[in-house]
Amino acid sequence: MDRAWIDGKAVTLKAAIAEAAKLLGASRFPLIAGLGADVAGARAAIALAERLGAAIDHMHSDVLLRRLDSMREAEVMITTAADARTRADYLLLVGPNAVAACADLPHVLFGHTGPEADGRLRRVGWICPDRRAPSAFGEGAEPRSVGRDPSELPVLLAALRARIAGRPIGKTRAPKPAIDALAAELAAVQFGVAIWSATDLGPMETEMLHGMVADLNARTRFSTLPLGPADNALGVLQVCGWMTGFPMRSAFGRSNPEHDPWRFDTTRMVEAGEVDCALWISAYGTAVPEWSAAVPVIALTSVDAPMRRPARVTIEVGRPGADHDAIEYSAAIGGLALSAAAKPSNAVSAAQVLVQIATTLRAGT
Amino acid sequence: MLMRLTGGRVLDPANSRDGTGDIWIRDGRIIDPPLDGVRADATYDVAGKIVMAGGIDVHSHIAGANVNTARLLMPEYHRAAQTRPETTPLASAGWTTFATGCLYARMGFTTVVEPAVAPHHALHAHLELADIPIIDKATLSILGNDDFLLGLLHARESPAAVSDYVAWTLDATRGLGIKVVNAGGAMAFRSNVRSFSLDDVVPYYGVTSRQIVKALQRAVHELGVPHPLHVHCNNLGLAGNVETALATIAAAEDLPLHLAHLQFYGYGKEGERGFSSEAARLAEAVNRTNGLTIDVGQVMFGQTVTISSDVLRQFNARAQAHPKKWVIFEGDGSGFGIVPYAYRPDDFYNAIQWAVGLELFLLIEDPRRVFFTTDHPNGAPFTTYPEILALLMDRDARAEWIAKLPREAIALTTLPSISREYTLSEIATMTRAAPAKLLGLADRGHLGAGAVADVAVYENDDDKAAMFRNAALVFKNGELVARNGEITSGRFGRALAVRPERDRSIDRRMRSYYEDRYGISPDLLVVPETAIDRPDPFELVPCVT
Repeated sequence: MDRAWIDGKAVTLKAAIAEAAKLLGASRFPLIAGLGADVAGARAAIALAERLGAAIDHMHSDVLLRRLDSMREAEVMITTAADARTRADYLLLVGPNAVAACADLPHVLFGHTGPEADGRLRRVGWICPDRRAPSAFGEGAEPRSVGRDPSELPVLLAALRARIAGRPIGKTRAPKPAIDALAAELAAVQFGVAIWSATDLGPMETEMLHGMVADLNARTRFSTLPLGPADNALGVLQVCGWMTGFPMRSAFGRSNPEHDPWRFDTTRMVEAGEVDCALWISAYGTAVPEWSAAVPVIALTSVDAPMRRPARVTIEVGRPGADHDAIEYSAAIGGLALSAAAKPSNAVSAAQVLVQIATTLRAGT
Repeated sequence: MLMRLTGGRVLDPANSRDGTGDIWIRDGRIIDPPLDGVRADATYDVAGKIVMAGGIDVHSHIAGANVNTARLLMPEYHRAAQTRPETTPLASAGWTTFATGCLYARMGFTTVVEPAVAPHHALHAHLELADIPIIDKATLSILGNDDFLLGLLHARESPAAVSDYVAWTLDATRGLGIKVVNAGGAMAFRSNVRSFSLDDVVPYYGVTSRQIVKALQRAVHELGVPHPLHVHCNNLGLAGNVETALATIAAAEDLPLHLAHLQFYGYGKEGERGFSSEAARLAEAVNRTNGLTIDVGQVMFGQTVTISSDVLRQFNARAQAHPKKWVIFEGDGSGFGIVPYAYRPDDFYNAIQWAVGLELFLLIEDPRRVFFTTDHPNGAPFTTYPEILALLMDRDARAEWIAKLPREAIALTTLPSISREYTLSEIATMTRAAPAKLLGLADRGHLGAGAVADVAVYENDDDKAAMFRNAALVFKNGELVARNGEITSGRFGRALAVRPERDRSIDRRMRSYYEDRYGISPDLLVVPETAIDRPDPFELVPCVT
């Protein structure tokens, strides 16, 4: 049974799609936001945005663009979880959420005892660890840790990079011998991988860490494995890249895609009254819009989550990889992969709804 | 639907045809002229124009995780404002999948091979290819830096085991062929090796680059995959690397081999700066090695971004990044490096590279064995093809350019002494007949009865660049897709792939290998037909039995 509502009243899927198409068709500048969707959903959403001249944004663009900015402005070395598992003799965890971000990966990362090339035990270092985190590392592999509070990260990373390059450092909260010891340990690894949650590191810390890894590669081998953000942000990024040339926070208002991380920020646009209709997609979970301004909303969600302001149209869609097969970003292989439906249902997918909205719009013009 | 193109000069070297005549098309295929009195449903008068089969590009990086990373790395270089063919979704964008198909089609190209797909990223590559309109496409799957193959060679397993693995990879990733990139080099780089040549040994595995190339060459041949092993040699871009290319050519022995973007290996160490052209020697070696084919990888001047699975080479090139940013992605088996680069006409090294490419084109005698590429976007974007064709066909145009380049660079090449000019027939061979044969596409690259009706019609213009930039008419599967450079169709083509026979026990072996080694299922890298949101997205190309 389809589950769809207009102004809180249960309606057929067909009626909800017709109302959504009507709202979007009448809009002068719509926004497609949230974008928590699989590849098919993202493809359909971006095609619809082009047709509507809409802006597109993802609920995790802040974190995602932070990751991306270190690449498009500096230097990045990156690898996959599978490669880290088979090659790394050293894992450098950075920030308190580094282990939590590996929720899907502990069997890949920590259950193994080092690179086959020489069979040595894999060692672990952790900068600003979560001291309450349950040990994930196995016996005898307790990490060397430096730093206590995440607020130390910027200074600590800068100090560590300086010491690796043999430069002097000023005052730091963490004791200098501990920094020197870690710097020496990193310089001596054969193939190290730095792992962190993208939510933990700001733009400057991310760039500093990538710069440190690049420096280490002058003599030894080191790479990185940044993790997240969630809601298939990295998969949607890939789709957005090939369809528009740009990441999210782009718009088709002037017919050719434009990318502007400030101008096409969802919350800013809605709060400033620049958009007059928002299509919110959250097929993975409970995320709801953060804005408080009044704007007509069409919500495609997998869970009936309470919104600050009720949506005009709500359509319940299947959860990718659970209700239906889905292509998503897989951290294990560092690319797009097919997840078979864990509990196949006949819930309509976000992609199907978006295609039907586009079809309805086409029929109406 | 019966169509007739009438009165054009038909240039179809595969069928030894060069003369005024008609082309008849029915249901997407070329047919013999029907009996007198039969009228076509549609007739195109192409009198005075040149009629060729659709162009085929054997090596152009148009899709996949590597290409997409380059897009995301370079937001400032997108051409945001372009005329927008209304029939194609998103064709308003600059460097997108949608633009790629349109830009190729308007030049009269109808089939393009993406030559560097890491098996773990095959699904991504095919998703992008499915969003490239109009043209047909294909992928080459990369092997040769992967633990499984190196493990087979390390354990001295049988050639049959290598063949089964190659066949399994082609099936899972839906590739048309196999490419090897700096065989063993990326793997050696993981062990902190910084330079790697043909007879160097990959640490831990104890196999040489040469052994990897030979094993793959043999497997591809024995499986009957039409396209020979596609080789990106060691030492790309380095002074003196002509020796590596010559050694690789010698290693081809009696089996077919294809060397990619040979221009990047045509360098000697002569002159004050220790960098010179050795294209003449290289061309001579190609001329006398039957069964060897090459593509050029021509350099043209301007800003570009280099995309390569040669992780070691891209890492070593990071200091030359312009603008100053780069990405090295290592991954399993095959990673990639993205390094932006600007080729400048006043740069000594870039001028030599430009000349080496043209020397190879002009000194390799048989147009069936030299292929037309820029290694897009590594030497230049594919949109420079019309200008390169003009340089090949006009020695005066070359002389004009030579006069603008650093004299001390040109002095270290043979280019000024070469008077050869390509004929239109040779261009048709190099860009149509020969690539179809190289890839095993019997029904493409020619205009004989039974061929897919991929046809490009050009104005017979003295300005060859203008002629090839915007084809007068382009047909894909008999459908008019471009007219005078304007796109007239939003159709989507298919991906061509081979599926050689294999001993199915390899499937079980791959499953336990992936589960044990990576903790993942090998299904993660299988490209199912249902994942591609287009009707009938693949076309099977038969293997040679």
